[in-house]
Amino acid sequence: MLLAVLIANSEGNILVERFNGVPAEERLHWRSFLVKLGADNLKGVKNEELLVASHKSVYIVYTVLGDVSTFVVGKDEYDELALAEAIFVITSALKDVCGKPPTERLFLDKYGKICLCLDEIVWKGLLENTDKERIKRLVRLKPPTEF
Amino acid sequence: MAQPLVKKDDDRDDEAEYSPFLGIEKGAVLQEARVFNDPQLDARRCSQVITKLLYLLNQGETFTKVEATEVFFSVTKLFQSRDIGLRRMVYLIIKELSPSADEVIIVTSSLMKDMNSRTDMYRANAIRVLCRITDGTLLTQIERYLKQAIVDKNPVVASAALVSGIHLLQTNPEIVKRWSNEVQEAIQSRAALVQFHALALLHQIRQNDRLAVSKLVTSLTKGTVRSPLAQCLLIRYTSQVIRESGVNTQTGDRPFYDYLEGCLRHKAEMVIFEAARAITELSGVTTRELTPAITVLQLFLSSSKPVLRFAAVRTLNKVAMTHPMAVTNCNIDMESLISDQNRSIATLAITTLLKTGNESSVDRLMKQITNFMSDIADEFKIVVVEAIRSLCLKFPLKYRSLMNFLSNILREEGGFEYKKAIVDSIVILIRDIPDAKESGLLHLCEFIEDCEFTYLSTQILHFLGNEGPKTSDPSKYIRYIYNRVILENATVRASAVSTLAKFGAMIDSLKPRIFILLRRCLFDNDDEVRDRATLYLNTLGGDGSVVETDKDVKEFLFGSLDIPLTNMETSLKNYNPSEEPFDIDSVPKEVKSQPLAEKKAPGKKPTGLGAPPTVPTSAADAYERLLSSIPEFASFGKLFKSSAPVELTEAETEYAVNVVKHIFDRHVVFHYNCTNTIQEQLLENVSVIVDASEAEEFSEVGSKPLKSLPYDTPGQTFVAFEKPEGVPAVGKFSNMLRFTVKEVDPSTGEAEDDGVEDEYQLEDFEVVAADYMVKVGVSNFRNAWESMVPDFERIDEYGLGPRESLAESVNTVINLLGMQPCEGTEVVPTNSRSHSCLLSGLYIGNVKVLVRLSFGIDASKEVAMKLAVRSEDENGLLAYHKKPMKKKPMKMECPHHGLTPNKLNFIVIIELSALSNRLYDIYQNITGSKELLKTLEDEYEIDDADNGASFFFGSRGASGRGSTGGSAAGFHALNKQRAELLGGARE
Repeated sequence: MLLAVLIANSEGNILVERFNGVPAEERLHWRSFLVKLGADNLKGVKNEELLVASHKSVYIVYTVLGDVSTFVVGKDEYDELALAEAIFVITSALKDVCGKPPTERLFLDKYGKICLCLDEIVWKGLLENTDKERIKRLVRLKPPTEF
Repeated sequence: MAQPLVKKDDDRDDEAEYSPFLGIEKGAVLQEARVFNDPQLDARRCSQVITKLLYLLNQGETFTKVEATEVFFSVTKLFQSRDIGLRRMVYLIIKELSPSADEVIIVTSSLMKDMNSRTDMYRANAIRVLCRITDGTLLTQIERYLKQAIVDKNPVVASAALVSGIHLLQTNPEIVKRWSNEVQEAIQSRAALVQFHALALLHQIRQNDRLAVSKLVTSLTKGTVRSPLAQCLLIRYTSQVIRESGVNTQTGDRPFYDYLEGCLRHKAEMVIFEAARAITELSGVTTRELTPAITVLQLFLSSSKPVLRFAAVRTLNKVAMTHPMAVTNCNIDMESLISDQNRSIATLAITTLLKTGNESSVDRLMKQITNFMSDIADEFKIVVVEAIRSLCLKFPLKYRSLMNFLSNILREEGGFEYKKAIVDSIVILIRDIPDAKESGLLHLCEFIEDCEFTYLSTQILHFLGNEGPKTSDPSKYIRYIYNRVILENATVRASAVSTLAKFGAMIDSLKPRIFILLRRCLFDNDDEVRDRATLYLNTLGGDGSVVETDKDVKEFLFGSLDIPLTNMETSLKNYNPSEEPFDIDSVPKEVKSQPLAEKKAPGKKPTGLGAPPTVPTSAADAYERLLSSIPEFASFGKLFKSSAPVELTEAETEYAVNVVKHIFDRHVVFHYNCTNTIQEQLLENVSVIVDASEAEEFSEVGSKPLKSLPYDTPGQTFVAFEKPEGVPAVGKFSNMLRFTVKEVDPSTGEAEDDGVEDEYQLEDFEVVAADYMVKVGVSNFRNAWESMVPDFERIDEYGLGPRESLAESVNTVINLLGMQPCEGTEVVPTNSRSHSCLLSGLYIGNVKVLVRLSFGIDASKEVAMKLAVRSEDENGLLAYHKKPMKKKPMKMECPHHGLTPNKLNFIVIIELSALSNRLYDIYQNITGSKELLKTLEDEYEIDDADNGASFFFGSRGASGRGSTGGSAAGFHALNKQRAELLGGARE
C-alpha cells in the first residue's frame, strides 16, 4: 500500500497531503516526521535526487523539485524501489504541469492540475498510471496516444 | 540603471510571496460554491472554486456532514456542463467529498450515463467514481458494464475497471470473483499497465487456491510480461509458489529458479532487484543459487542512486544473518558505504559488516565505526550498539576492544534511549563474559559520575550492589557510590545508600567504614534517604559490633520482593491511611495472566538490566520462593531448573492450562497454571489427575489442589513426583483437570451453592532429557575445554540418517540437548558440508558439561555426527561446589551397569535424542527383540535389522556404547535389547 503522498514547501508547510489507510490520529505524527526528515536532509540536495529512509517496516522516498519537496511513504509491496518509481512519475508530472521545477507560487497556480495528476497516479494507495504523457492527456480527459 | 533592476527584484519578491490561496477561508469558499447552481455555468470559475475546495481538503480542513452534502449536491449539477476540464475536476471532487457527504448515491444515474458514454475517458472516470460510492446492490446492477470494461480496447478504461476490482474485492469478494475470465483475458493485453493491474487482481482472486496460483505462475513465466511492475509481481508470486512446493528431491533442482535467475539479466533495475531479493529469501538457499544474486546486489552497492544502494545493502544485511560467508565478497564495497551521505545506508552497511566480519577484522572495523558514530542520529547509533553487543558475544576474546568502544561512546553526548542501550549492552557483556566484569563495572562507575539520567544511575547502582561485592577488590567502587550520596538527587542518593548497605552486608572487612558512611546519611534532607540509612544501620548491626551478617538480612537486602509489583501497586492504591498499618501479606501473590501480546513473543531475549539470557532470574527466583513456601515441597532441596511453560490446551478453550516442570535432585514438581475463561462459572477444588503409567521411574508423592478458580483470575495447582536421585529420568504424562463447577450469575457475580463435579481432558506432555540441562555459556570455550581433563572425555559417533539440511540437523541436536551454543557456532554457513558446534551447559547434579559436535553431510543428505563431551573431574567438582560427597552424583552407581555415570549420564541424552518419540514409544512397549524387529520392519519398511537399528540409534558400533552407562530404566532395557539385537544380527 502506498500510505502517503505529501508535498511541502521549503519551510515545511504542507501543500498537498494524501493518506491512504493511515488512521486519522496517526497522520499528524507522520506529517511532522516527514517534514523533520526533509528539514534534516534535503538542504543542498539537487533537484530530483532521491533520498530514502525506513521507519520500522515502512519505507520513505523523498526528493526536492524547485521549491517543493515530495515524500512518498509505502509498505509491503511498495518498497523503496516501487516508491522510487512512484516519485519519479510524480516529479515528472509536476515538471510537466509547471513547465519547469516549480516555485511555490507556480505550484499553487497549477494546484488544480496537480491534484488531477496525483489522482491519476495514485488511486487509494495503488499506483495507477506511470507514463507522464498519458497522464497529461488523461487529466484533460483525452484518451492515451498508444490507444 | 540600478533602479529598474531593484524594481525587478521587488517584483519577483512580490510574486514569490503572493499565493493564489492567500487568506483562503472555508466559509468564503462554500459561499463561492454557489456558482455551481448558476443556470449559466461559468466552467472556468467553477474549476477555480473546485481547486480551492481541493486545496482546503488537502490542507486537512474538514467539512461537516451538512456542508459536504450541500457542496456535493451543487457539484452534481455540473454534470450539465460539456466542458471537459470541468468534468475532470467534477470526478475528482466527488471522490474527495464522498466519504463525508450523505446520499452520494444520488450521482449514480449521472455516472451510469457516463459509463455508457461514447467518450472513453468519461467511461474510465465514471467507473473509478462509481467504485468509490458503490454498495453491494448497486454493484450487481453495474457488474455487467464493469466486466465489459475489463476487456475494453482502451487501456485506461480496462485499468480503471481492474483497479476498481482490486478495491471492491475487499468489500464484495463474491461478485469480483465472478470476473476471473475477463481478468484472465486482460492479462494477455498488449498494454503494460493493464497487464500489471490484471495480474494483481487475478492473484488476489485466487490467492487461496494454491494450484491456481501455481498454474498462473507457470504460464506467465513462460510467456512475456511487458511491464516491469507486472514482472516484479510475478517474481513475488513465483517465490510464493517455490516456498510452497519445496525442492525437487530427485534432481535437487528448485522449480522456477531458472526464471528468477533469468530476471537478474532484465533491463529494469526494479526487476533485477526483485529477483535478487527473491533468490536470497529462498528457504535453504545454496551458495550456488545465491552467488548470481549477490553479484548483482554487489553492483547495486556502488550505484549512483541512493535508492538502489539502500535496497542492496538492506537485502545483504538480511542475507548476512543467515549466510554471513556469502556476503563477505561485498565487504570492500560495503566499507566504502560507511561514509555514505545517507545515514540509513551507512548504518546498514556497518551492521552488515559487523555480522560478516571475522575475529581478525574486528579492530579495524571498530576504528572505522568510531569516526562514523559522531555524525549519525541516536536511533542509528542504537542499532550499531546492538550489533556490537552481538558481535562481542560471538567473539568473547575481543571483549576488550568492544568494551572500550562502548565505554567511549558512553562518555559522548546522547539521549536516554541511546545511553540505555549502551548500559544494557555493557551489563549483558558483564554477565556473559566473566573476564569483562571488572572493567565493565568500572566503566559503569565512571559513567554514573556524570550521568544525567536518574533511571540509569539507579539501575547501575542496583547492579553494582549485586555484582561489586563479588569482585576481587570491592573497596574501589565505594568512592563512586558515596559520591552519589553527596552529589545527586534524592532518588539516586537513596539507591546509593542501598548499594552501600549491600557492600557492607557482603564484605565484613568493609563494614566499619560503610557504617561511617551510612551514619553520615542519617542527616540527609530527604526522608527516604534517612529512612533507608537508619534501616540498614539497624539491620546490619551498626551499633559498632562487627559481626557476620545474618542470612535473613542478606535475604532481605538481596532477595527481591516476593510479590508481583503490579499487585503491590494496586493494593497500595486501595489502602486507606488509618490506624491499621498496611499489611504486606494482604497483597495477592498470584501472577495475573500476561497480556496476549507478550505471550505471543516468546524467545525474545531480555535485554535490560533485569535478567540473564537463559531463565530470567526473577522467574527462577520467584518459582523457587513459591515452591519453598509450599510445606509439601519445602523439603525437596534446591530447585535445579524450571522449564518454560508448556501449553496443555489449545488457544481460546474454556479453560487455559499450561505446565511448568520444576526439576529437583530427587523430585519433579509439575506446576499447572490454570485460567477459567467462562464468566458464568466458578471452579472449586481444582486438581490435575496425572497418569504416569508411561513414566515408570516416577512415583507420585503429593499434590496441592486449588481451592477456587474464579473467572479470569489465574490459579495454580501442583503435583509432585519422586524419581531416582540425580538421574535424568524421562517419561510421558497424561493429564486430566478435575474440578467442581458452580454456576455464577453474571449480573450479581454470586455463585450458586450446589456444584457439579466435572473433568476436562488436557494434552499430554513429556519430561525429556533436556529438562535436566541448564543453558550456561562460557566466555572462552577453548580454555574451558582444555581446563577439563581429557580423562573425563567421551567421544562417540552417530548417524542421524537423511535430514533436510545440515543447519536443520544442528538446530535439532542443539534443541534436544538443551545446551547453550557458544561463540556463534549455532549458525551454519550456507552449503557447507561439515560444521562444528560448541555447546555448554550445567547438568543435573551441577556438573559442568562441554560438548563439541562435528557434523558432516553427504550427497544423499545423510548426516553423520561426532560428539565429544567433557565434564568436570571429581576434584574439580568438589572444589567448585563444596558439596558433601554423598550428594555428588560421582558417588552413585548405576544399578544396571555398575558404572559411575556422573558426566557420562550425559551421553544418555544423546542416545535419547537420536530416538524419535515414536520409536521410544515402541520400545517402551516391547519386551522381546523379535517383536522389536518386526515392529521396526513394519513401521519403517526395512529389511536389514542392522541398518535399521543404526539408522535410528545412529550407532556405528555397539560394543562401547552398550556400556556407556545410562540411568532411565526403560532406556537400559532398550540398550540391552539393542546390544542383543545388533549382536544377533552380526552373528
